[in-house]
Amino acid sequence: MPNAKEMTKLGETIPLLESIGKEGRVWSDLCQQYGVENPDPPWRVTLESTCEVLNEGACALPVLERRNEEDELSEDLYKNVPHPERQLLALAHSMIKKGLFREDELSVQMEKVYKRLTSV
Amino acid sequence: MSKSDKHNHDAAPMVDEISDFEVLEVAVRELCIEKGLFTQQDHNEWTEYMHTLGPLPAGRLVAKAWLDPDYKQLCIDDPVKASLEVGIDWINSMPSKFGTPSDYCNPRILVDTPTLKHVVVCTLCSCYPRPILGQSPEWYRTPNYRRRMVRWPRQVLSEFGLQLPEDVEIRVADSNQKTRYVVMPVRPDGTEGWTEDQLTEIVTRDCLIGVALPRADRKADDKRPIHKAVHPYGH
Repeated sequence: MPNAKEMTKLGETIPLLESIGKEGRVWSDLCQQYGVENPDPPWRVTLESTCEVLNEGACALPVLERRNEEDELSEDLYKNVPHPERQLLALAHSMIKKGLFREDELSVQMEKVYKRLTSV
Repeated sequence: MSKSDKHNHDAAPMVDEISDFEVLEVAVRELCIEKGLFTQQDHNEWTEYMHTLGPLPAGRLVAKAWLDPDYKQLCIDDPVKASLEVGIDWINSMPSKFGTPSDYCNPRILVDTPTLKHVVVCTLCSCYPRPILGQSPEWYRTPNYRRRMVRWPRQVLSEFGLQLPEDVEIRVADSNQKTRYVVMPVRPDGTEGWTEDQLTEIVTRDCLIGVALPRADRKADDKRPIHKAVHPYGH
């Protein structure tokens, strides 16, 4: 767990998330390219579940705190990203800001996940 | 049907690409588990529960109430009990069971009349009666809807295509952690003699939030426009 010095302020850019927000392909674009009509990406339900369980038990990220920060980030850093992609970015942003995990840890985990999901 | 006939059709289109957002969602979830913030089993329980949610139970509740005055009264007096009749248990069905902000165990049914229209908002965040109405639409979560609906409900409703006469009073209900609202609109003309199933089909999600009125010829919610505030409230 990082110490207070390592924690970032809410409005500060997090390069990893900023890059995903700018370069990541959003669900609406993918739907158009592949002719899919589902209004939501398949990961929306698991994202909602993550938000719920973080609010449960140890209350790692209370719902009101997360939603207030999502509102703030949605009108600022991630204003050009559609929903639910910006909800996901805001969640990761809030968790890094709160010190629940670090940006470099997330980056390493994303590399592992990408390798796993694209392995043949 | 033979085994070969069963598979003799084109597969539905699918997104054949792993996006950064998909990877991010998995990575965040796995880091949470690694850090001990929750377990895979906790997450699975919520995901399974989320998959059961949708607007159909609330639509059926309204349809039943239109057909049965006693049930309508039950909806007003004891919405938790009335919800049980459409398969929704507000107290026990969700994984958390009791005692957290996500329990939403105080539902309220707001009954419209020809001269009174209710509409639901959550000015604080995006509280929504998910057990009986499913996930909230994107526009419901936007600060613009939340800020403007409480100030200029008639104008915002008109942007949804709902033009109400001046003599119709509009009441905006503001949701919170425990109290969640569902609107019971007035049964529309042209539905005389309809069955409960037929009526359920026209009670769409937007009708249940209060931004649309049921119509005999409309069974689905269209994508709604999002308008920016002219003078946004700074916070």
